[in-house]
Amino acid sequence: MKIERKTIFRLMLILPFLFGTLAINAQSDHTGKSAATRTYAITNASIVQSPGAVMEGGTIVVKNGLISAVGKNVSIPDDAQVLDGTGMYVYAGFIDGMSNVGTKRPKAMERPSNLFTPDPPNDYAGITPERHVVDQIDVASSTIGDLRKAGFTIAHTVPYGRMLPGSGALIFLADKDHPDDIILAENVAMFSQFVGAPGAYPGNILGIMAKWRNIYRNADNSMQHTMMYAENPSGLTRPNRDRTLEAFFPVVAGQKPVYFNTQNMLDVRRAMRLQNDLGFKIAVGNIKQGWELADELKQKGAQVYLSMDLPDAPKPSKSEDKSEEVIALEARRMDFYKKYVSQAATYQAAGVQFGFSTMGTRGNKVKTHMMTMIENGLNADDALAALTTSPAALLGIDKVAGTAEVGKLGNLVVTTGPYFEKKSQVRYVFVDGDKYDYEIKDDKKKGAEVTDEPAADTSNEPLLGSWTYNFTTPQGDQGGKMIIKKEGDLYSGVMTSDDGSPDTDMEDISFRDGTLSFSFSVDGGGQTIEILVTGTVTGKSYDAQASVEAFNVSFELSATKDDGR
Amino acid sequence: MQAQTAKGDVLIKNGTVLTITDGTQENTDVLIQKGKITKVGKGLRTPNGVTEVDATGKFVMPGILDAHSHIAGSAINEGTSQVTAEVSMEDVVNPLDVGIYRALAGGVTTIHLMHGSANVIGGQNETMKLRYGSTNPDDLRFEGAPRTIKFALGENPTRGGRSRGIQPQSRMGVEAMLRNSFSDAKVYRTKWNAYNANKSTRKVAPEYDLRMETLVDILEGEVLVHCHSYRADEIYMLMKVFSDFGIPKLTFQHANEAYKVAPELAAFGASASVFADWWAYKLEVYYSTAYNAAILTKNGVTTSINSDSGELVRHLFHEAAKTQKYGDLTDNEALALITLNPAKQLGIDNRVGSIETGKDGDIAIFDAHPLSTYAIPQMTFIDGVKYFDRANDKNDQRLYINPEETIQEVMIFDRESQHRCMEDAQTLSFSDLFSNKK
Repeated sequence: MKIERKTIFRLMLILPFLFGTLAINAQSDHTGKSAATRTYAITNASIVQSPGAVMEGGTIVVKNGLISAVGKNVSIPDDAQVLDGTGMYVYAGFIDGMSNVGTKRPKAMERPSNLFTPDPPNDYAGITPERHVVDQIDVASSTIGDLRKAGFTIAHTVPYGRMLPGSGALIFLADKDHPDDIILAENVAMFSQFVGAPGAYPGNILGIMAKWRNIYRNADNSMQHTMMYAENPSGLTRPNRDRTLEAFFPVVAGQKPVYFNTQNMLDVRRAMRLQNDLGFKIAVGNIKQGWELADELKQKGAQVYLSMDLPDAPKPSKSEDKSEEVIALEARRMDFYKKYVSQAATYQAAGVQFGFSTMGTRGNKVKTHMMTMIENGLNADDALAALTTSPAALLGIDKVAGTAEVGKLGNLVVTTGPYFEKKSQVRYVFVDGDKYDYEIKDDKKKGAEVTDEPAADTSNEPLLGSWTYNFTTPQGDQGGKMIIKKEGDLYSGVMTSDDGSPDTDMEDISFRDGTLSFSFSVDGGGQTIEILVTGTVTGKSYDAQASVEAFNVSFELSATKDDGR
Repeated sequence: MQAQTAKGDVLIKNGTVLTITDGTQENTDVLIQKGKITKVGKGLRTPNGVTEVDATGKFVMPGILDAHSHIAGSAINEGTSQVTAEVSMEDVVNPLDVGIYRALAGGVTTIHLMHGSANVIGGQNETMKLRYGSTNPDDLRFEGAPRTIKFALGENPTRGGRSRGIQPQSRMGVEAMLRNSFSDAKVYRTKWNAYNANKSTRKVAPEYDLRMETLVDILEGEVLVHCHSYRADEIYMLMKVFSDFGIPKLTFQHANEAYKVAPELAAFGASASVFADWWAYKLEVYYSTAYNAAILTKNGVTTSINSDSGELVRHLFHEAAKTQKYGDLTDNEALALITLNPAKQLGIDNRVGSIETGKDGDIAIFDAHPLSTYAIPQMTFIDGVKYFDRANDKNDQRLYINPEETIQEVMIFDRESQHRCMEDAQTLSFSDLFSNKK
């Protein structure tokens, strides 16, 4: 009797959940978004299973989120949607080694009253290594779809913030309702960057380097203390809880790497300097200017993610009476442009395994930039490796991703021709076993996502076009135009100023449910000051609050849409 | 990352050699091998594989040292707090700064890259050799030079204090902060000494504090203090503080009123690094004289003349020459102000600052006596390697170029950006942000 009662009691606990789950699954999908099947077979395609290994006329089957078969004579499951892959190329889905894809910049923190102390609050100082990017993930972020359209299926996304914003996670670039649904792995690495706190310690690279060392040494001591205490607490002072230091324990123990955002050459050297002094596992990412450092990074065993963002090609002056000096300056500028665009080839030649970071790049630039790197010496197979097998190995997910082989995750890119050819277009992207369709456009127009979602009605976009803005500062009114455009899913914009100041880019534009937010930067005598703007669009008017975190000040900004486009 | 920098072999023949420590020697050769001066004498034989440089009719002097510089730094001030002894300029060396090449073209071979003067105890400085061309900051380190640190008295740190409503708001507050900092450091040292002496295997380390670690190193004489100062009263104050805490070595930077306390400086053994004739740029710098360096020298104070500027660093030899107009210093005394004396203040006089056997092959060659208005630097060597040669001086000396820069026909020299002492330290206000006067 006793046992029975217990069992029933347990069942009663479990049943509601069980029925709950069933009920959700059984519900019809009124949005019509759900796919009829999650089994797909792409037939008669050129399947690039790994860089350099092409199977012509092959069939690849994706089932239950995994690649279930690859071969010339595979039997196609009954429930499969068959996609004719004649003339198409299938690759493993691309992997982004370090970016902010799918994350949302947290709201600017209120400026604490007493900042002028040697130890301002950790969260304002940007020292929050105990945080996780998962808290910043925004499943509705347009960056997810934008990067997926370029062939990316997994990204190592890192949090926004300052010196030590927290840990990154591996996410699927999939359209899901909840952050948990897109997470492949959490707590992958600690993220760090040389970003100081506005007007507080550490304010710049000087303080950041010192603070880094100080935290690390204390974490080392604290970890030893904690371990000793765990073993036998008797007679030992109790270790103080300190989340910042505790977050460093796995780093100190060599179990968790630190990923640094190191765009320029000196950033890379400074990150390596910390590594050299303290001895943790390091990755240097978003490298734009590292062509001299390949051998050193290889020797030090640092993980490397080069920037996908390339400079615009310099345009020599068309003037016919150019001075010799100008000709010489233009030639040197071109030399340096070449160093940037051949950086990947340089690393390849040095035998460094590297991936890419898409920070600062948009999906629609990925292919253009990859092609530029190939034109400047990067071999196409090596380029593919840097997008697939190398980041998979560096991130420790090579057992589940990086190649188009049986048993791996259903992450694929299907293109109308070899990816690294100018004319080819992405036709399908599979992420975690789900299919995303892209319409093939004639020559000029690139595929817009069609899937089953209703296409955005661009003619009715309330945001696009020119706006006249105005805000009041202590110096009087400031005004100008905001010109907003949209490419694919992403907005871009420029602010002009009536007083003749240079134009400013509108960054991180997001527009959802009538709320438009963006940021822009102004030059405050050598310091870049960021202004965050958030407000509501009602018809042709925009009413917003603009806040300057550095001074804890906010002011009203309003704009009116200009007639006509 | 330990850099192995180039060491050269060169024989500089038949010049007028201004040795600083052994007078002026005419028609004399200087032999440098593997970066070190191996012989100074007449008619030296050229060893195999050694390049000859004909210095007939030219003047050969030790490479010039600038004891106060802010070139080649990616950041200058961590001015967000009043005591930042833990930060170090060695972390922010910017080898790409073309200002390094400009300094070389003025015969300068060593600079003291200093933290700014925004806070009472600023950061540690970096003594550097101007090995321009390498993009690795480690290649520019003056290997083996003692550590130094920047302190600041007077208007700069109190200005920050007043605008932020924190200590120090007056010169009294500056002294109190110094004494408190050193007292805290002594407590910290006691804690760590007790920990280190504890034989137990189950001991728990006290909190590690890089700021206190550095202050302890100052107390123990391992870090030389270079203090931004102007007024005699504050100079005297700091000597008293250092006496009380038993810190033996001290160099005053700027020290425009040092001439008023010259005997006291000499008695303490403190030295001074001053401007030749730069003053009146703020209230505390009004009571100044161009005789400062000469008065200090005559009173037995080890004195140097510095630039604190990316422009003045190009003609420190002119700055030294001014002490002959104002104070009648001898050639040797005047040249020592920019060679041996700054080397002493930086603790590297066993390596540089004079032309002597065994010292580093850091040499500047001039076409006329360097104290002459007509003198033009011709070549500059560091460790026997030539880094500047006027006869072979290409126009574009930049190391890295931004591929997205716009090229303009006219390059405008930005004078304001040359002064970096208070960079990042001004409390920018919201109204500054939208002011037209940027």
